[in-house]
Amino acid sequence: MSALSKLIAVETKLFLREPVSLFFVFALPIGLMLVFGLPQRAGTAADTGQHAEQTFLPSLALALTIGMLALFTLPMALGIYRERRILRRLATTPVRPALLLVAQVVVNLVMGVLGAVVTSIAVRFLLDQPAPANLPGFVLAFLLGVACLFAVGLLIAALAPSARAAQSIGPALFFPLLFLAGAWLPRDRMPSALAAVADYSPLGATVDTIGAAWAGADPELPQLIALAVTAAVAALGATRFFRWE
Amino acid sequence: MPVIEVDHLQKRYGEKVAVDDVSFTVEQGEVFGVLGPNGAGKTTTVECVQGLRRPDGGSVRVFGLDPVRDRTEVRQRVGAQLQESQLPDKVRVREALDLYRSFYRNRADIDELLTDLGLAEQRNTYFQKLSGGQKQRLSVALALVGRPEVAILDELTTGLDPQGRRDTWDLVERIRDRGVTVVLVTHFMEEAQRLCDRIAIIDQGRMVAIDSPAGLLARVGSEHRVHFRPAEPVEDALLLAAPDVTGVSRYGAEVTVTGTKDVLQSVLAVLNGRGTTYTDLRVEQPTLDDAFVALTGRGGRAAAQSPTDGRSS
Repeated sequence: MSALSKLIAVETKLFLREPVSLFFVFALPIGLMLVFGLPQRAGTAADTGQHAEQTFLPSLALALTIGMLALFTLPMALGIYRERRILRRLATTPVRPALLLVAQVVVNLVMGVLGAVVTSIAVRFLLDQPAPANLPGFVLAFLLGVACLFAVGLLIAALAPSARAAQSIGPALFFPLLFLAGAWLPRDRMPSALAAVADYSPLGATVDTIGAAWAGADPELPQLIALAVTAAVAALGATRFFRWE
Repeated sequence: MPVIEVDHLQKRYGEKVAVDDVSFTVEQGEVFGVLGPNGAGKTTTVECVQGLRRPDGGSVRVFGLDPVRDRTEVRQRVGAQLQESQLPDKVRVREALDLYRSFYRNRADIDELLTDLGLAEQRNTYFQKLSGGQKQRLSVALALVGRPEVAILDELTTGLDPQGRRDTWDLVERIRDRGVTVVLVTHFMEEAQRLCDRIAIIDQGRMVAIDSPAGLLARVGSEHRVHFRPAEPVEDALLLAAPDVTGVSRYGAEVTVTGTKDVLQSVLAVLNGRGTTYTDLRVEQPTLDDAFVALTGRGGRAAAQSPTDGRSS
């Protein structure tokens, strides 16, 4: 077996041995859906606007899954690897330590996709949510959202001085992003300047584009571009600033 | 051809000069010690040998190759154990070995390695459940899993209890017996004295001396000391008249005679000649601590950090 496939296999085992990340990916989004989705179905919410859209909650759940992996799990793991000098240790072997980063990203990506599939299926059957109507658009929006959030996560890993710092920077960024996505205050009720920013924020654009495709529409091109640009800039910054020790 | 050649190595970090001028060669099959106090530039020196850092001046060759340019080839043949390097908490011993093994073209037999390092029973244990000594042995095992020709071991016994330290020393001897050239970085004098064929002493980024442990001791000409408690008073003059004796001092009932290598025989000859009995006879040989202090002309930060267990045996 090649070094990379071995690394991926070991990183997968390590991921599965961590109950907290499993909970984040597979249980929390579904739990959220049930808690917030059921009252809505019962017709108590007479909302109009963003929160009334049938695809808002499931899109948010998917964005949440990716966001938690990208902003919590990934920077934490890389911070620990640097702090414990595991990256340094790898540098003394014929294998480049960048391979461990690749393995980490691959594992988190696969877990993110699995989590998304599980959540989508759960939503489909538990909440009678129809399957994504515009599947190519849905996949594109999902992948761009993943790329954007993972790049931001890698940038955190690159800039955080320690694993502990990464552990606080992740949430410190995650919750404002979640707010901008309209998780609490619907974006149609935000001041228009804030809403304009929110539309192109990583989680906001992810939720919107996934939601639009789910409902059968085409995702907004400017939002897709915003995701792609953020991904590229953050990834560049991450490679530029990453410290191996 | 030497396995490692370091020639006038220089390395700076910004303004700070970590290694100023270090030169040495390591021959095939020897245990070579790099000794010095913390911050002397030992780790930086071996990191240049491993190709982890690019020298600012001078040159480093490993098997005649440049460790920075020919990194992959050098790393195939040099195993490293890093100071304070850890593994993820929930990786099992065997998994870690199996993973690192896949990085190399020459692959050691894992079960044999585990048995050799006394980790056979821990093969399925999580890294976080290992004791300090077991973690250290796993770290050594990872350095050996690619069947290296050279093993670089950095601060191998720091943080281990005396028993763990002794076990680790036996381990280094077994590694050498496999024909692996060992570079041992340490600030423990006793460790270097016990294990190394030759030692380079580095202080403040410069080479102070390079020699065998015996050669270093001979170079500083440190004194041997004999302590004993005679049953009846012995005149200083009588002891001072004996060959090899250079001085006599007393502390309570204890007499301390200093002198050259054969001072013990001289003292025993005097005592037996007078028929004087004695108790608590002890011989203190010069240690590398003494040599280090003499060579660096400093009251040895390193000497202060040396373990005190069984030092003057």
